Amino acid sequence: MMSLVERAARIGALLSLLLGALISTSAYADAPAPDELVRKLAAEMTSAVRSDPELQNPGSLKISDFVQKNIVPRFEFERITQIAMGRNWAKANPAEQKQIVTEFGKLLTRTYSNAISTLKDLDVEVKSTRVMTPNADVTVKTQMIGRPQPVSIDYSLINGPAGWKVYDVTVEGISLVAAYRDEFAGLVSQSGISGLIDALKKKNGG
Amino acid sequence: MKRIAPFILTIALLAPSLAGAAPSKKVKPALAPIPLEEPAETAPPNDLFEPINRVTFAVNDGIDIVLVNPLVALWNGLMPSFVRTGVGNFFNNLDDVYVGVNHLLQGNGSRAGVDFERVAVNSTVGIGGLIDVGAKMGLQKVDGDFGQTLGVWGIPTGPYVILPLIGPSTVRETAGRSVRVMTDPRTYLDAVPSYSLMGLEYLQTRADAKANEGLIAASSLDRYVFIRNLYLQKRSLMVKSGQTQH
Repeated sequence: MMSLVERAARIGALLSLLLGALISTSAYADAPAPDELVRKLAAEMTSAVRSDPELQNPGSLKISDFVQKNIVPRFEFERITQIAMGRNWAKANPAEQKQIVTEFGKLLTRTYSNAISTLKDLDVEVKSTRVMTPNADVTVKTQMIGRPQPVSIDYSLINGPAGWKVYDVTVEGISLVAAYRDEFAGLVSQSGISGLIDALKKKNGG
Repeated sequence: MKRIAPFILTIALLAPSLAGAAPSKKVKPALAPIPLEEPAETAPPNDLFEPINRVTFAVNDGIDIVLVNPLVALWNGLMPSFVRTGVGNFFNNLDDVYVGVNHLLQGNGSRAGVDFERVAVNSTVGIGGLIDVGAKMGLQKVDGDFGQTLGVWGIPTGPYVILPLIGPSTVRETAGRSVRVMTDPRTYLDAVPSYSLMGLEYLQTRADAKANEGLIAASSLDRYVFIRNLYLQKRSLMVKSGQTQH
């Protein structure tokens, strides 16, 4: 029981870590291997947070700026949404799909942005990489250290035209994207695709 | 619940054998041939008692607001953080005994050895469990309980249940929890020390959880469903890891 809560807490930490790991790689013309990428980004991220007190202040405008510029581009929100929707993805028309991707991306970004402030006291160690499909789909396993208990965080990445992008984050074995599946499925079965879109918009305050 | 194309399964099964291959830096396909549907797509959760559970869930929320949150705030305000850490460690140390027994019951002697080593070190050098010396020596605490043991033995979870005050559980985990309470020495102390110790543990657990509860509330569309999913993912993972670590 207590570990469920711990687990949930770790989600916050993991997200921050995840976010931390995902600084934009657009600067790397010669795209590095995904494990190198995660390692380098995590190092850059933690040092940015440590050297800038504003990034340590949850809720500051600078954080959302920073996240928009450096982290959001490293996430494959379309695939994230597809996985969270499962079978229901095909029930949405292209316009609806686009809307859901946008709103869900907003929700994830807004919710977890402030977690980057905790990176101040944390470090990320890349442990190993599991290759699902060579050169296309890999999971980089990391450990976040700096708390009494290390937290394992795995980043699943796919390779695309814009380089490697994250499509799932797994904290201590719990997939964050899968966590949304039941919610999405419930909303769609109760009130259809439009009900899901409305719920997302409402959550985003729009 | 069909829908998993056989070839996806094949890929999933082959994946471990591919794990050794390092990704090359040069070749970069325009788009990865990733199937849209995940092989991990799961069956809908068994929530036979959902209507009742939602009521209990709401009642628990109410109790949190009027009772637990003020107590947690008071506790956090009165006690310096080293005291709170010590209290958390103390109860974790008691828990480790129970975790070790369960790892034995699961046939995982090597993990049980680590659990008991933690208890030995933390109870002595760690001053009765107040300091987690074991973790500093690289002996990390892991979870383990009788509900997990039942799962490792092949007993299914049964329906999801929300317990009053305690929160998410399943029929199997509730059975495991009752065994825990019955075998807990604290249960057999006099009423005052017994309830005080259990109350303190409850308070510390809830205090630890507060930050994360806020994050869950902020990120979920239907908090009941979100928490259910996280809980069931976690329990299933615990059983799987218990089954493979022999």
